[in-house]
Amino acid sequence: MVVPLYHILAFAGLLFTIGVVGVLFRRNAIIVFMSVEIMLNAVNLAFVAFSRYHGNVNGQVFVFFIMTLAAAEVAVGLAIIVSLFRNLRTSDISEIRLMKH
Amino acid sequence: MTTILFYLFSALLLGAALFVVLNRNPIYSVVGLVFAFMNLAAMYFLLEAYFIGVLQVLVYAGAIMVLFLFVVMLLNVQPDRPHPGLIHPDRWWFGIMALIFVSLFLLLIGQGVRALLTSPAEDAAGMGSVADVGEALFTSFLLPFEIASLLLTVALIGTVFLAKKKV
Amino acid sequence: MSNIQSLTYFLPELILTSSAMVIILTDVFFRGRNRNRLIWLLSLVALGIAAIFLLLQTTPPDAIFYGALAVDPYSRFFKWIFLLATVVIYVVSPYSRELDNNPRHEYYLFMLLVVFGLFLMASALDLIIVYLSIEIVSIGSFVLAGFLKQERLSNESSLKYVIYGALSSGVMLYGLSLLFGIAGSTNVFDIQAALSGVPDKAHLTLAVALLLVLTGFGYKIAMVPFHFWTPDVYQGAPTTITAYLSVAPKAAGFALALRILGITFGSSPDMNLGEWLPVEGLPFGTLIAIFSAATMTVGNIIAIQQSSVKRLLAYSSIAHAGYMLMAAAILNAQAVSAIMFYLAVYLFMNLGAFLVAIFIHNRYGYDEIEEWKGLGFQAPAVAVAMGIFLFSLTGLPPTAGFVGKVYLFSVLIEAQQFWWLAVLGVLNSVVSLYYYMRILKAMFLDSEPTGERISGHPALSGTILLLMIPVLLFGVYWSPLMNLVRSSLEFFSPGM
Repeated sequence: MVVPLYHILAFAGLLFTIGVVGVLFRRNAIIVFMSVEIMLNAVNLAFVAFSRYHGNVNGQVFVFFIMTLAAAEVAVGLAIIVSLFRNLRTSDISEIRLMKH
Repeated sequence: MTTILFYLFSALLLGAALFVVLNRNPIYSVVGLVFAFMNLAAMYFLLEAYFIGVLQVLVYAGAIMVLFLFVVMLLNVQPDRPHPGLIHPDRWWFGIMALIFVSLFLLLIGQGVRALLTSPAEDAAGMGSVADVGEALFTSFLLPFEIASLLLTVALIGTVFLAKKKV
Repeated sequence: MSNIQSLTYFLPELILTSSAMVIILTDVFFRGRNRNRLIWLLSLVALGIAAIFLLLQTTPPDAIFYGALAVDPYSRFFKWIFLLATVVIYVVSPYSRELDNNPRHEYYLFMLLVVFGLFLMASALDLIIVYLSIEIVSIGSFVLAGFLKQERLSNESSLKYVIYGALSSGVMLYGLSLLFGIAGSTNVFDIQAALSGVPDKAHLTLAVALLLVLTGFGYKIAMVPFHFWTPDVYQGAPTTITAYLSVAPKAAGFALALRILGITFGSSPDMNLGEWLPVEGLPFGTLIAIFSAATMTVGNIIAIQQSSVKRLLAYSSIAHAGYMLMAAAILNAQAVSAIMFYLAVYLFMNLGAFLVAIFIHNRYGYDEIEEWKGLGFQAPAVAVAMGIFLFSLTGLPPTAGFVGKVYLFSVLIEAQQFWWLAVLGVLNSVVSLYYYMRILKAMFLDSEPTGERISGHPALSGTILLLMIPVLLFGVYWSPLMNLVRSSLEFFSPGM
């Protein structure tokens, strides 16, 4: 392999963490979705690396489906944001406090 | 040579990802993410996953990011206010804990992977062309393929339903 | 089995998807005023035909589509639960005032597709199907939760649902990637084979992978600490959807989790329940027990503080997942049958309780417990039914809820483990008595009898009374259900 498997997985792990941090800490919903995309891409990288290691194509097939799904999820998520924005005029999720806890 | 390139792309990728997550201006973040995806696509090509690499450019950088950019423009999203903009000062400890946790996490996974996966497949080269993936997709993975199309239908109708104005 | 041959075993699902397509076309081309009704009827017919095909499926356990899906009594049992829950919600949805200003035809369409996703969840044998099925259900639920578009609450709840859902499924995916990495295949049986030969040093990796995957499953079941989406979503969604979400996807989550975890981490591919956890260094049973305790307790504690019936029922449904997790801590055949039994019973009582809430809301727009005062006299039949549902949810005899809880507890008792968990379960049931009885008290004892009788649409009250019957029946004569559960304990495994 071009680079040892362990290195690629480390990159994927770091990328995944960056994504998780983004989801948990950013308040702007659009940035949150982008962070989710970063997470999913990290997983894709891991799958491709494993696929290469094992010499079969199943991991890449999984990546294909993850991409499909990411597109679907983003579309729905952004639609909700647009819909919410129409009602609230903000995309800052920490201003969304209607829910009683 | 390819090794050096791979590390270069990885570094750029991680840097771009950090930029996306930490930046105040959403438009910069979107562009940063496109850049990150391009680097990732380059990495896929270096790993000989050609089909996935092309899809990365077409689907992620091409379609998904365009959608993001469109929504950012449509909603005229403003840069976050400087304070409290990104990370509350009293959340730093949380960030440090997260960092420690993550390093542990990576260590654990790394240990196991090093122990387990010591022998890469001999004929690992060349698996990743459109033909290879296509053959798998249309034979053993035909059902997931069709399910994915249903999933897209659900998402499509759902998106239009949620975003349109008139009830 | 090849793809073409598999189609004959896939008929119920095919009916669901093709009717969805028919409905889409009808929606486009049919412009009459009765469009909503027509689509409602079409969907019900579709569900009925799917049920018939399900009934006709009596083949021995097998795997279809190159080992991606299982066709066995276990998945069939859950498919019946999904169909039943869906039909109940379909029957009452036209009569729920909440939905009045919204285009219901899309509502019916999405539910049909969600049912398809649920069917897949119950039969999944491949990591890709696991992921895709969870996501179909999730995306469909996102849209259904945000159905009341003009309500801010509904929008917000939908957004939070999407974010939590994306986060959880992303984390689960990472775990799935590790499993794939170790095994080189996405098939659950291949993974089981690969995992049984794992050297000691890698057990921590396995533990991490397991935890990550558990995050995804826990999100679907609303297990604590992955439950944070439920309060907002259950509150913001239309009550019919809340009722549905608290039953069907939860059952599917259990079906999926039990099968996938049971096979992957078992010592043999036969799903020989009871002989698993080769992951040393991670006491899996104890882990699940802790999650169960947390889920029960958190669900109940927050439910006590609720004054809105809808939120109370929503939080209490979290607690019920906790009770079922008690049995999951042991995971032998007896445990799985107890969980399946409880899920069936839970369907009747939880849906029933929510339907009564819809009934009251229709008439008065009431949701607070205080406003339920005197309902015992204003709508006696429905109030009595609610009383029975509440007794069953608490777990008091002679209701089915009591029998179900006894089965769950007996799993722990006969395995002679986790005594503390059983005790905690009993304590939690007592706590739940308090808040369930508050509703009962408001209905019957705090009355300002104004004397006016209220009545809702017969479909609504009729369904409520119909749901009451199994709750009472299975409280005294439950062996038919238990026999059905026991006969459904057959799983596909590659030796067959």
